[in-house]
Amino acid sequence: MLTYLLRRLLLMLPTLLGITLVVFVVMASSPGGISAKSLVEGQNLDPEAKQEIEAYYNRLYGLDNPPWMQYLRWLNNVSPAGFTFDEENNLSGFSFSKGSDLGRSFRYGRPVTDLLAERVPITVLLNVLSIPVVYLLALLVGVRAAVERGRSFDVSSGMVMLALWSVPTMLAGVLLIGFFANDQYWHWFPTAGLSDRQVLDQVFMPHWSSLWDLGLLFLMLVLSTALFLFLANMGGKMIRMALLALCWFALGLAMVQQLPESGQSVSLWILIPTLFALLAAWLASTDYRLMRQLGFVVTGVLVGGLLSVHWMQGEWLRGFLVDRLWHLVLPVVCLSYGGFAGLAKLTRTSVLENLLSDYARTARAKGLAESSVLWKHVFRNSLLPLITVAASLLPSLLAGSVIVESIFSIEGMGKLAVEAVQTRDRELVLSITLIGGMLTLLGYLLADILYALADPRVSYE
Amino acid sequence: MSSRPQRQSYWRRILRQTFLRWGARLGLFWVAVLALVGVFAPFLASSFPLLLSEGGELKSPVLDYLQPVDVIFLVGFVAFLLLSLWRTLFWHKLLVFLGLIGVTALLAYALVSPPKLVIYEQYRVAEAQGNYDWVVYAPVPYSPKDYQREQGDTGLEAPLSNGDRNHWFGTEQNGADVLSRMIHASRIALGIGFVATGIAMVLGIIIGGLMGYFSGVVDMLGMRLVEIFEAVPTLFLLLTFVAFFGRSLYIMMVIIGITSWPGYARYVRAEFLRLRKQDFVQAAEAAGLPLPSILFRHMLPNGMGPVLVAASFGVASAILAEATLSFLGLGLVDDPSWGEMLNQAVQSSRFNWWMAAFPGGAIFFTVFAYNLIGESLRDAIDPYLSKSG
Amino acid sequence: MLLSVKQLQTWFQHQGRTIKAVDEISFEIARGETFCLVGESGSGKSISALSIMQLLPKSNLQRHRGEILFQPQGGERVDLTSLSEAEMQQVRGGRIAMIFQEPMSSLNPVFTIGEQILEAVRLHFAELSEAEAWQRVMDALEAVQLPDPQTRVHSYPHQLSGGQRQRVMIAMAMACEPDLLIADEPTTALDVTVQREILRLMKDLQQRTQMAILFITHDFGVVSQIADRVGVMQQGKLVETGATEQIIHRPSHSYTQALIAALPENLALQQKHELHDKENPLIRLSQLEIHFPVRKGLLRRVVDQVRAVDGVDLEIPRGEILALVGESGSGKTTLGRGILRLTEPTAGRVAFDDTDITELKRSQLRRFRRNMQIIFQDPISSLNPRLSIAGILTEPMKVHAIGENQEERLEIARDLLHQVQMEEDTLWRYPHEFSGGQRQRIGIARALSLNPSFIVCDEITSALDVSVQAEILRMLLDLRAKRGLTLLFITHNIGVVEYVSDRTAVMYQGKIVEQGRTEDIVNRPQNRYTQQLIAAVPRVPV
Repeated sequence: MLTYLLRRLLLMLPTLLGITLVVFVVMASSPGGISAKSLVEGQNLDPEAKQEIEAYYNRLYGLDNPPWMQYLRWLNNVSPAGFTFDEENNLSGFSFSKGSDLGRSFRYGRPVTDLLAERVPITVLLNVLSIPVVYLLALLVGVRAAVERGRSFDVSSGMVMLALWSVPTMLAGVLLIGFFANDQYWHWFPTAGLSDRQVLDQVFMPHWSSLWDLGLLFLMLVLSTALFLFLANMGGKMIRMALLALCWFALGLAMVQQLPESGQSVSLWILIPTLFALLAAWLASTDYRLMRQLGFVVTGVLVGGLLSVHWMQGEWLRGFLVDRLWHLVLPVVCLSYGGFAGLAKLTRTSVLENLLSDYARTARAKGLAESSVLWKHVFRNSLLPLITVAASLLPSLLAGSVIVESIFSIEGMGKLAVEAVQTRDRELVLSITLIGGMLTLLGYLLADILYALADPRVSYE
Repeated sequence: MSSRPQRQSYWRRILRQTFLRWGARLGLFWVAVLALVGVFAPFLASSFPLLLSEGGELKSPVLDYLQPVDVIFLVGFVAFLLLSLWRTLFWHKLLVFLGLIGVTALLAYALVSPPKLVIYEQYRVAEAQGNYDWVVYAPVPYSPKDYQREQGDTGLEAPLSNGDRNHWFGTEQNGADVLSRMIHASRIALGIGFVATGIAMVLGIIIGGLMGYFSGVVDMLGMRLVEIFEAVPTLFLLLTFVAFFGRSLYIMMVIIGITSWPGYARYVRAEFLRLRKQDFVQAAEAAGLPLPSILFRHMLPNGMGPVLVAASFGVASAILAEATLSFLGLGLVDDPSWGEMLNQAVQSSRFNWWMAAFPGGAIFFTVFAYNLIGESLRDAIDPYLSKSG
Repeated sequence: MLLSVKQLQTWFQHQGRTIKAVDEISFEIARGETFCLVGESGSGKSISALSIMQLLPKSNLQRHRGEILFQPQGGERVDLTSLSEAEMQQVRGGRIAMIFQEPMSSLNPVFTIGEQILEAVRLHFAELSEAEAWQRVMDALEAVQLPDPQTRVHSYPHQLSGGQRQRVMIAMAMACEPDLLIADEPTTALDVTVQREILRLMKDLQQRTQMAILFITHDFGVVSQIADRVGVMQQGKLVETGATEQIIHRPSHSYTQALIAALPENLALQQKHELHDKENPLIRLSQLEIHFPVRKGLLRRVVDQVRAVDGVDLEIPRGEILALVGESGSGKTTLGRGILRLTEPTAGRVAFDDTDITELKRSQLRRFRRNMQIIFQDPISSLNPRLSIAGILTEPMKVHAIGENQEERLEIARDLLHQVQMEEDTLWRYPHEFSGGQRQRIGIARALSLNPSFIVCDEITSALDVSVQAEILRMLLDLRAKRGLTLLFITHNIGVVEYVSDRTAVMYQGKIVEQGRTEDIVNRPQNRYTQQLIAAVPRVPV
């Protein structure tokens, strides 16, 4: 195992070298390339000042060197062991402990390391929140689709997943912001950023002015969730359907009421509640217990929360945590739905393959109930290919962050990447490539290790 | 397997099974509509009348203003129709088609020279002055870059909000018709999807094929290269390329092509590694067949299944890539594209749903269509896990 | 009666057509008896077993009716078809256990074998304590004579060999002391020596526990070893039932008669050639080695070699059929491919007439290939699905300049198809339109199209039913006589060897351990391994 790990880590080096080389070649061979000229271009300066700035940039970043020299210099700076230079930029020796330096950004004039230290955690936060959502929902739908192979749930969920997968992230983002963060429609969520300025000097946890309100909120949430969970498991399909449909009809009415006067119309008053009611009725009618329960619990939380807010008397401070979460809702939705759809389809394939396998037949012949066959035998085996997929999910999520961060004006690594290439910021582009590549490769490695742990057949000896 | 004898080649069977599925049919229908709209865009949405009579003299201004690109699309369409009737090998058809397009492109740019100065409103103004006996306009009587300057009060308009002007999908900030822009932008979606995927596929097949057949050192180096390209998020690589190389449609096609070949290479490699062990390839080798025959007659056609499936998904993601780049403000400068229109929607301080929903919807439907075709194709090729099974 | 099946019907719906997989079959099994269901592929024998277990795929099941009456020891007589799913789960594994053909995939790869057996025990003996249940698992593993059960119990399935896995499957089935064990081709995927041990084990266990066995197989050799009574199935119908001895020696139904007659043991033995030119063999292998490197460690250095073929000396005289016999992994297929240089030999010489094939350059080899051809085992994958039969047959001819033009080559192809007893219109069809036997004929025609003098036949009949096998073998002998072919016949089936070959070589772990006249090898083997191998072959008493 150790040799394997070492081998993999060593193999990462040429790959990382290749990645940065590819990106550097692209930059260097482009018309204009990376010269001081391209950096000053467009600034309204008199020729003399321009020349001076060019000379300054050249001195600072060595932009007048030939491209291969620039790359080697950068490489030397980044690698933890390498040549050292004195004040005059002359070779002074070779050191194994000089430490790596990602350089300074052209545009921000700050060390790249600082910039990355600021931005990377934000992108990681977005992705870390998305992945569990993606996996949970995908497993929920995918497993069911496989069990119901060829029946209506499978066919319809297959279509819906494919459609979801086809929705461009920017469309989803623009529509979500447009309808749910804009004061023309429902101004429920913030339009941009990760926190409100006013919250920055508030406490971390939310704070209520009266204890009564907090108690009410807690009580309502617990009571209503418990009630709805009970309803979800109770017999009588018709009652369930009617109840949930009624709840969502009311929620729909409340939603339309939230619109500004100008936006309300008779057709909306009818359309939205009806649509909600139909969806709820379908959810209540499904035989898939887990999904039904999920639907009821969500309804319960919503109803409980809304009622308690309605009955609350005192004031409350949002606090940093709730504010942050509140800002994250739309971006995370935007980032997750595509991965969820793709993963759900993969889960279906994987579970189906295992359901039809010989060992599942053995388990049935043993006298196991179908549900035990599914959850005990098939499920664990089906997860194996999904581990590998998790690794490839990471780069796609990183790519997704680029779009989502741009739309929601979140100062993360994705947005930094767009800015970096737009301003031809050599150090920044190379560093982001390096970090992104490293994260991706580590993701692959982690997936392989997890795979070896989960599957006794695989050992890296 | 006691089915009645059918004398159909493998691909014919696969295609028939693919398009028996309604998903694939819907997808194909949408793509066909898109193709028609793209080819006949100048006749569907143009400020220039299709036909007018000025003092008894018939004129067709739209023909005068036809661009070389319009001509290429029209000739390509006719050539496609004719070639689909010709019964010959697919490769022959493809070569003839590409040759025809190339020749037409040269001729069109040499011979077709529309007026340099374009005044969109001239015919409307002339019509209002009563200069013409009668005028026939295109169904959408606005060119994509016709800002209707003569109206004075143009700007953002919701669909059908102004009784005089029929903007079915509304207008953008400058007053240009959204539907007209979308119709003309459909070509970009169509062109980019096919050309970029074509480039990626050719690269992927060559590199993957070499890796799969020769294995050993070639394979190792190739896989490193694939890994390098896969470890950088494609979007980031695209961004870098586009930001540094400028924004032309052709550069964009090439760039999307060369950033998405690793997937195909991986598929082809895996297929070739699998096929090399298959008995019929061994038999071909044992019969002393020359290498090109083994590679292109026995292995490639049998390995094309997964590649074609990947390609139809690839077309979808190429379209998405273009839309994303345009959305991020790195797209084409002079021509409207769906992604760029979506970008316009967020530029305004107010949320104008028609500017987001229509172009965004078009991207969605196109991507969905290709995904539907891809999925049906996969089910037809690998019936083991299909829905009907 | 323990089990009586009455008028069982199982029909499936497939692409709008009804497939009568099992059509009104009736049979009975008494306590302690072994009943064999025999039939060729697609006869419905496996579906019958799954019907009894109620384990049929529900999605395309069209009709499932009839009675399956089951009376466990000291229990009520119940009709399994009328039981609820929960009740049926009590029967499955508890009263009726089942083992399957593929020991490789029939165990869950992510659980240890102990856990998997324990699961069955806990399911049917819920009252046992943890320790008692484990004891039962250990007893079961000991009963099936798994070596070193104390440590093996914690192994994962992939750490065991095929035979050991099948023992684990049996242990899992026996742990709950069922009244009936359904064994669906349990030894088909195993080597003969392993098969013999498994069959012996099953007999032993049966004698000890008095359970009944429903044994499903296609192999009459196995039937004659294990069965008390036999039922013969053909296309979903049970055509004949009777005592084993009666079925094998005095079959009354015409289908059974044909089936028995098609066994290689019963085929009229041909006159063996003896007049071969021993001095000038067509093929001469000297010290042939084919090794595959094993790479390990940081730098992927070659640390070991898998010696698939390890120094083989062999001569095949002109016009002779040499059978190469061995168990799986013995290197016989690799040797066959090495002779044709489809796999590059590591060392040694392959002389064809006077030419050393290993010395040939690639282009020379390509031209030389018309002299030697190969026919493969798997009829599905041996024909290119994208080419018509005409394309498959004429392309090699074109490359080797046989025939002046395409018309002439097509004429030759027609003639070849005629020789392998295929219709002429075969030419313009595609491979998927043909059955396994037909494809194998086309494969033979392809090999003959270059008019070679030497052909390697790699297990060419092992994927076929016995009746088809008999036809193919007869045809091959015919062709040999007409064309004076020299054949290397690779197989594991001793019956086929006896029928077809002049001489036999036995391969074990990459080496030829014994060679000689087929008659001598089969009846008077000298080598210890050969003796074991020959003894393990289940033979139908003729």
